[in-house]
Amino acid sequence: MNKTQKIETGMELVRILICLLIAYAAALVILFLIADDPWFVIKTFITGPFSSPRRIGSVINQSIPFILCGLSMCFVYAVNKFNLAAEGIFMMSGCMVALVGLSLADYNLPSIVMMIIVYAVAIVTGIVLDYIPAILDRKFNANVVVVSLMLNSIVGFFAYWVLQNKLADPKKSSVESRTIPASIQMPDLFGKLKVPAGLIIALVCTVIVSIVFYRTSFGWKMRIVGSNPRFAKATGLNVLSISFAAQLAGGALAGIAGATEFMDNYKTFKWTTTTGHGFDGLLVAVLAKKNPRLVPIGALFLAYIRIGAEYLNSKSNGAVPKEFITVIQGIIILLIAAESFLSGTKNKIIFKEAQKRLDAEKAKNTAAA
Amino acid sequence: MFTASWIGQFLATGIRLATPLVFAALAAAVTVKAGMFNMGVEGMMLCAALAAPIVAAQTGSVWIGLLAGVLTRLLTALVISFSSLTGKTDLYLTCIAFNLMATGGTVFLMILLTGSQSDTLNALKIYMLPTLNIPLIEKIPILGPILSGHDILTYVAVLSVILVSFFFKRTRLGLRLRSVGENPQAAEAVGISSIKMRYIAFILSGLLSGLGGAFMSIGNVGYFMKNMVGGRGYIGLSAMNMANADAAGASLASLFFGLCEDISLTLKSNKTLNFPTQFLDMVPYAATILSIMVINFIRIAHQRKIEKGEVAAK
Repeated sequence: MNKTQKIETGMELVRILICLLIAYAAALVILFLIADDPWFVIKTFITGPFSSPRRIGSVINQSIPFILCGLSMCFVYAVNKFNLAAEGIFMMSGCMVALVGLSLADYNLPSIVMMIIVYAVAIVTGIVLDYIPAILDRKFNANVVVVSLMLNSIVGFFAYWVLQNKLADPKKSSVESRTIPASIQMPDLFGKLKVPAGLIIALVCTVIVSIVFYRTSFGWKMRIVGSNPRFAKATGLNVLSISFAAQLAGGALAGIAGATEFMDNYKTFKWTTTTGHGFDGLLVAVLAKKNPRLVPIGALFLAYIRIGAEYLNSKSNGAVPKEFITVIQGIIILLIAAESFLSGTKNKIIFKEAQKRLDAEKAKNTAAA
Repeated sequence: MFTASWIGQFLATGIRLATPLVFAALAAAVTVKAGMFNMGVEGMMLCAALAAPIVAAQTGSVWIGLLAGVLTRLLTALVISFSSLTGKTDLYLTCIAFNLMATGGTVFLMILLTGSQSDTLNALKIYMLPTLNIPLIEKIPILGPILSGHDILTYVAVLSVILVSFFFKRTRLGLRLRSVGENPQAAEAVGISSIKMRYIAFILSGLLSGLGGAFMSIGNVGYFMKNMVGGRGYIGLSAMNMANADAAGASLASLFFGLCEDISLTLKSNKTLNFPTQFLDMVPYAATILSIMVINFIRIAHQRKIEKGEVAAK
């Protein structure tokens, strides 16, 4: 790494931190304006998530699907194809896991076999659903964002139909499935914290995706395609195939995410609409600057402000709507993605550094002469 | 079932459902002509849809509500254009972020201002824009009910189609906008600021989708409902895409999607057929994906023919 690259990486970190600070300040200002007792509200929002081991556990718990969806979005964001089908995939894969799990319940298979089967189903669901916008983009040049968003609506309705007609337990008053077999319910870890075992899946996936991104030729090609498609084409890379493959990989991860979240926290399937996790994944990927190694940190931050907002919402008896967090999330994406935000400062520092080096060289030359 | 009056009502509903799509398609067309794929139409319609009934209820005048809706939308257009043009953010990412913000932000404001969680139906007095009966045409037997008696914004939509076509084909500003969209370097070379033109495109698109959003609330039902735009911005965007950003073509495509939604609503209300409602809900979205496929397939096939020299290029 040369000097300029070092400055760029350093500045990037500083920039993200400043963005988060600004967004956080914006959150506090909003809270200050709307609350009757602003100091209490702000204190609850900041320290609430740490107030009990159980709550710290739920921050980690909520970050698990964020990590997996964030990794999924890293793939599509890395090749600059905003295939947002992950949103629908998340719901559908939970639905498929419930369907398969319940229909295999009578065979009493050991837990490990069941897990392998349901994860295989989830991955296939993800790949199949992400295949649709990807192939339309590749063959018909259809806008991948629009197609995937339309697909999300369709998948959402379809999963609800499956729930109502194939899964719903007539004995229950609300629309939900029978209890899934114990073999596919994730056990809890760390005693009091009650973190589900899905965390292990999420961390393993993070390691695998990081290796794919930075240690394989596919990851290298993918990043070239994303950062400079023309250059990629000129060097003879098959741009279409690479971005296509990246989207499918993203779909597989979104499938894993949906299955993990479902088995972690639910005993019956009862999602009637899409859950928003796909978009959260995009936010995490933006926060992590499409670097899978940083995804867990971004996911933890997102989970922290979410739990803070939820806790605040219940503490204030609903006086502070938890939706304010979505506004903050939007500000974070906009600031971090804004290329010119602080770019002047960065260029100045790089310039100064170069100037210093030139002066030093000149001084050395004159000394030698 | 298939009587003349039924068909008349069916078409009239189709036109009503197509109105917001036409506005969305026009709003998207304006920005696409200036070279930007504005997906923020969805979220901006949502903002306008919330602002209109709230201001209308506050001031007691539906017209001020309409104005507020349009102004809100102009403001949001500036947010997007500022972060995308001045902040150099990826436009897709900006729009996705903005749409997410709008989805949550409207709910947030609704809860704060009215205290209700899902819609403003009970919290606010309902104000609606007047409908317009066209004197002579309303007397014509079948055609009358189809064309007359719509919300005033429906006619504004028709007018906007004509105005937008005129604007792009006949005015100097329209020409400049198009030149920025087609070749920004060439436009810059003759002294047209592409950034300025793009801001103007965003403001125009703001005006149009503000009307669309206001129609959703104070034109159609009279209240705001959580996530009430429900992908219509994207459907309008696809309609624009299908017609290659041509205003008249885009509104025809919007009409087609409006009729698709109409079919799904009609089948849903029909108890004897008993279709699963979820599949009917899918119809507008599925129709969008299918039409994008078909149109792009035809376009690519045509392109291949031109490349082979079988047909002359236009």
